[in-house]
Amino acid sequence: MSNQRQASSASQTPHLSPAELSYLYTSLSLPKSPIRPDGRSPTQFRPLTAESNILPGTNGSARIGFADGTQAIVGVKAEVEKTVLSTDTLASGEGGESTAATSGHGSWVQMSIEIPGFRDDDALPVFLSEMMRESLVGAVVEGGDGGGDVMMAGGLKGRLVINKRWHWRLYIDVLLLSQPLSYPLPLLSLTTHLALLSTKLPKLKSQGEEDPFFDDDWEVAEYLYPRGSKLKATSGLASQYVRPPVTLLVVSVGENVIFDPSREEIAVADAVLAISVTRDTEAGNLKLLSIRTIDPPSRLTQPAVPNSENVNMLGATAPTEDIAVLNPATGEEEVPGVWRPRRGGVKRSVIANMIKTVLKKGGVGEEVLEGLEGVEVE
Amino acid sequence: MAITILPPVVEDVAPYHADSDDSMSGADSDSDVEMSGVSRPNKKARTGNGKISSGIVTPGEVITADPQWMRGHGTYMNPLSTSIIATVAGKVQQTNKLLSVHPLRARYIPEIGDLVVGRIVEVQSKRWKVDVAAPLLAQLPLSAINLPGGILRRRTSADELQIRTFFSEGDLVVAEVQSVHQDGSASLHTRSLKYGKLRNGVFLAVTGTGGSGASTSSVKGGVGSGSGSSAPAASSGSGGGVVRSRRQVWTHTTANGGGDVDIILGVNGYIWISKHADGAEAASSTTENVSITRMEEMVSSSIYSSQNDNIPPQTRREIARLTQCVRVLVQGGVRVDEDTLTDSYEASLQVDLEVGDDDEEEDYAQEGREYLEGAKARRILELAMQRK
Repeated sequence: MSNQRQASSASQTPHLSPAELSYLYTSLSLPKSPIRPDGRSPTQFRPLTAESNILPGTNGSARIGFADGTQAIVGVKAEVEKTVLSTDTLASGEGGESTAATSGHGSWVQMSIEIPGFRDDDALPVFLSEMMRESLVGAVVEGGDGGGDVMMAGGLKGRLVINKRWHWRLYIDVLLLSQPLSYPLPLLSLTTHLALLSTKLPKLKSQGEEDPFFDDDWEVAEYLYPRGSKLKATSGLASQYVRPPVTLLVVSVGENVIFDPSREEIAVADAVLAISVTRDTEAGNLKLLSIRTIDPPSRLTQPAVPNSENVNMLGATAPTEDIAVLNPATGEEEVPGVWRPRRGGVKRSVIANMIKTVLKKGGVGEEVLEGLEGVEVE
Repeated sequence: MAITILPPVVEDVAPYHADSDDSMSGADSDSDVEMSGVSRPNKKARTGNGKISSGIVTPGEVITADPQWMRGHGTYMNPLSTSIIATVAGKVQQTNKLLSVHPLRARYIPEIGDLVVGRIVEVQSKRWKVDVAAPLLAQLPLSAINLPGGILRRRTSADELQIRTFFSEGDLVVAEVQSVHQDGSASLHTRSLKYGKLRNGVFLAVTGTGGSGASTSSVKGGVGSGSGSSAPAASSGSGGGVVRSRRQVWTHTTANGGGDVDIILGVNGYIWISKHADGAEAASSTTENVSITRMEEMVSSSIYSSQNDNIPPQTRREIARLTQCVRVLVQGGVRVDEDTLTDSYEASLQVDLEVGDDDEEEDYAQEGREYLEGAKARRILELAMQRK
């Protein structure tokens, strides 16, 4: 029962008292300058430690540790598989090219997430893996004319195609090493991104429609996501390369937009969004892949009792004191200092602001991608 | 820069056996016959040296197979053998011939008279169950609280029916341990105007070995043993946590127009930092004119309020700063008490000034300058330790 509740809402709802919730909410919703409990600015991430290529038995791997002690390891493995042609494509004969054989298939990427305390078929791991997988295989890049990125035509799915009869199958295993202290999505997504960046596939020696045959030399193996040389990366040309998507968790409190929320911050959020972005090769800026709303746990909280209605304070309060004020963000009337569970619903302008902060040039999304790019892959 | 990515740091923990006496290290290296390399303390080295290593053992690790030692807390002895095995992860302590392991992290063991901060997790018919970070939930009987208005009378069934109006699930209380039962669970009471429901502030929990006594000295992580600033910290014991000290509750006058802030350090490691509310002010905030005789009545009736007062942003900023100071102390392995917290608060103000001088780019200085836990944490710790 308790597990189910955890799985359905954005985090294990920490039991916070109404007074704490009210304090947090008011601090975070201060117009223009929210005060976060740990003093960060709204777009600031907690420092994290990252390393890649840590598992020798995988094609690519990474580890990221957040400052609060949560850690995740991701391993990416690839194997060659025969492409099964469906009957209708066979019927259509040699001339008709099967779409699956040229543009790839979403099921070629398999993702499994393991979170301590959850079963494989619990809602949280299943939902998380599907959320991350869909943005991964959904990121299709049109054409390769812009950056000369012919390899990545068709996105990750297209990259996995070897020839008409053979393809790569990618297994992404995500392991959360610690208890999920806050909603683990950003951690898992960043780690997966880093692991995919470091993933290498052996160099193909065979040509055309031959059975695939690979170079034994691991040194000449090619990156799954082609990487620019160091020089190019610094001169800004790195933006021409396709990158795996990242999913960021963004919450809104009042009219403020807050990134990398801690557990307490999620607990009072009006809306929790998981925004997936990737780099668009042609325009060089970020492309929005998906937005998902996550059930904010603030709905399940207990309301506070205003002093005027508190039976223990009868006669102690002046009746004029508690005047309900309209909350501009939610449009509900509330008494200041008294916690009321959120009923859901945010203004369009707030959602638009959240997306804009991620996507704009020099915005949070770009900084995160740049930061991850900087992690040594050697 | 919104995101900082650091390279991984290898925890600089000296293994237990590497720490042993120099004279035996030579003997150890050629005696490969000794299986598994598990520390098997050389009798002569130990008795001759007189001090035990401050290395860390893990549960199941053999501390010694020598029958001359007696086993203490945190150890286990197989009836068929003489080897002493650690049952907790922690540091080995030696008292004469007694070997015990002091855990790195332990739950709080209640003692009578402790001031604790707890969270109500369950409401029963005549009592509350309170989480105080102890192995068992503490209980707070209905008969051990003050009734609103300070009336002294028997608790009736009417009180039982409206038990949730006093405290309900999730509420934070500050209370005192009244008695400790046979099984180690505690009974609390809030029969004082100092105790009751908490509001107007933030809660944070620190782990560590908490109130229990002195232990071997070492500062984990953070300041690093080489920096020399760790020496003063050594006196305050290993691992973070709240010290059982004279003053667990005090009022701190903050800078930057933050006003007074109350700090409650529960012995159990739960901490509450809130806007200062003194009696008269609390009373006058509820009604305009209160006679002096009703004053106490007013104060005691607001114990069960769950409505926050109006707290100015400056105070909120300083409360956030204080919570970060606590976190910095805990991460640095320094115990939290009035002195260390005050010192680190002053240090954080000083660091802010330094940063303000250094940085010409205003954008960068503004962006997240209030975040203390990253690069600033080390500097704050160093400064705070110097003040001792």
